[in-house]
Amino acid sequence: MPNLKDIKRRIRSVESTMQITKAMELVASSKFRRAKERAEAALPFFEQTYKLMAEIAAEDPYFNSQYVHKRAENGSVILIVIAGDRGLAGGFNNNVLKIAQARIEEVQAQGESAIIVPIGQKAVDYFERRGAKILRSYDHVAEHASIYLGMDIADLVLASYRRHVSVQSVELVFTNYVSPIQQVAECMNVIPLMRMPGTAPRRCAVEYEPSPEAVFDKLVPQYVAGLVYGAIVESFASEQAARRTAMENATDNATEMIDKLSLQYNRARQGAITQELTEIVAGANALE
Amino acid sequence: MKTFHFMIVTPDRILFDGEVQEVIARTTEGDVGILAGHIRYAAILKTGALKVKLENGDERLAAVAGGVIKVSDTRTTVMSTAAEWAEEIDPDWAERSRQDALAKIAAAQNEPDRLERANLKLMRALNRLSVSGHNTGTLDQNKKK
Repeated sequence: MPNLKDIKRRIRSVESTMQITKAMELVASSKFRRAKERAEAALPFFEQTYKLMAEIAAEDPYFNSQYVHKRAENGSVILIVIAGDRGLAGGFNNNVLKIAQARIEEVQAQGESAIIVPIGQKAVDYFERRGAKILRSYDHVAEHASIYLGMDIADLVLASYRRHVSVQSVELVFTNYVSPIQQVAECMNVIPLMRMPGTAPRRCAVEYEPSPEAVFDKLVPQYVAGLVYGAIVESFASEQAARRTAMENATDNATEMIDKLSLQYNRARQGAITQELTEIVAGANALE
Repeated sequence: MKTFHFMIVTPDRILFDGEVQEVIARTTEGDVGILAGHIRYAAILKTGALKVKLENGDERLAAVAGGVIKVSDTRTTVMSTAAEWAEEIDPDWAERSRQDALAKIAAAQNEPDRLERANLKLMRALNRLSVSGHNTGTLDQNKKK
C-alpha cells in the first residue's frame, strides 16, 4: 500500500511543475504572436529588394558585380547560424544545430574550412564548446532585433567577403516557420548570388544613377541585411511556436500524471478507511 | 493631374502604398522629381527628405535613411532600411539619438568602421530632426563639436 503522504507530495510537486509549464506556454504564445507579425511585416521589403536586384541583373547584359561571380575552390565558407537564447523549446535548437553541423562536415570534407557567425546563446555555446572558428558572436539579440542588427551582420560578412578572396560563399542556417506545429531548419545560400530565377535576360532602357553596378552593390548589403533580419525574426517566431508546443505537451502530461496520482491517492485513502473500519468492527466483536 | 502607383517599403512595414501625383527624392546625384510617365529609372537615395504629392494634391514629407528608388512602367518603389512621416517623428527621441551618435563618434575616432557607422547614425538623427521641423544646424557644424 503506497504511503498517503508520499502520494500527496508527488501530486504537489507535479502541480507546481505544471504551473511553470503553463506559464511558459502562455508567455511563448504571446511572444509568438508578436514575432509572427514582425516576420510577416519583414517580408515585402525583402521581396521588393530581391525583385529589383533580379531586374537589374537581367536587364543589363554587361552587368558585372563582385557579388555574382563564383570564386575559386578550396577557400572558406562563412556560416551564419541562428538558434535560440534559451532551451525548453522541444527540438528547436537541436534541429538547427544539427543542420549546421552537417553542413560544416560537408564543407570540411571538401577540404574547405567553415567560419561561424553564431546568433543566439545556444549557438554561441555550441560552437565555442567545439572550438569552431568564430567570426563574431551575437547573443540575446533576437527578441528585440531591428534592421540595424541585420545591417551590422551584413556589413560584417560582406566586409570579410570583399577583403578575403578565400571566402567562397556566405550561407545562412535558420528555422523556417511553416505552421504553428511545423518549423523546418534549413541552410540557405546568401552570396554569391546565383543566377536569379524568374527573369529572362532582356535588353531595355533603364537609366541608372550613378551606374547599374553602383545601384546593385548598394542593394546587396540591403538585401543581405533584409535576409538576415528576416531569418532572425522568422527563427524567433519558430522558437516561440516550438516552445509553445513543447510546453503544451508538458502541461498535458502533467495533467495526466496528476489524474493518475489522484486516483492512486483516493484508492489508498479508501483502503485505509476500510482497514480502520474492519479493525473497529473486529474490536467491537471481540468485546461482546 | 495624372497619377501613378507609389510604394515606400521598409523592413518593419509598408509606409505608403497608393496613387500619387509626384515624388521628389534626394539621390546621390541630386534631387529628382518623378511624375507619371517617367522613364524607367533607378538610383541610390541619400539619407534625406522625401516629398510626396498625394492624389488630392496634399503634400507629405518623410524622412528616409538612404536606400534605393526604382521607377518602372507601372509603378515607383522606394526601398529603405528606415523611413517615417514627418509627423510621426518624436523630436526628443531624434535629439537623444543625435547626442548618442555624437558620443559614439567621439569614442570611435581611431576605428574607421565604427566611426563610419556612427556618422551614418548622426546623419539619420539630423535628417529626422530637420524633416520634423527642428533646426539643428548643418552636418559640418555638428561634426566639429
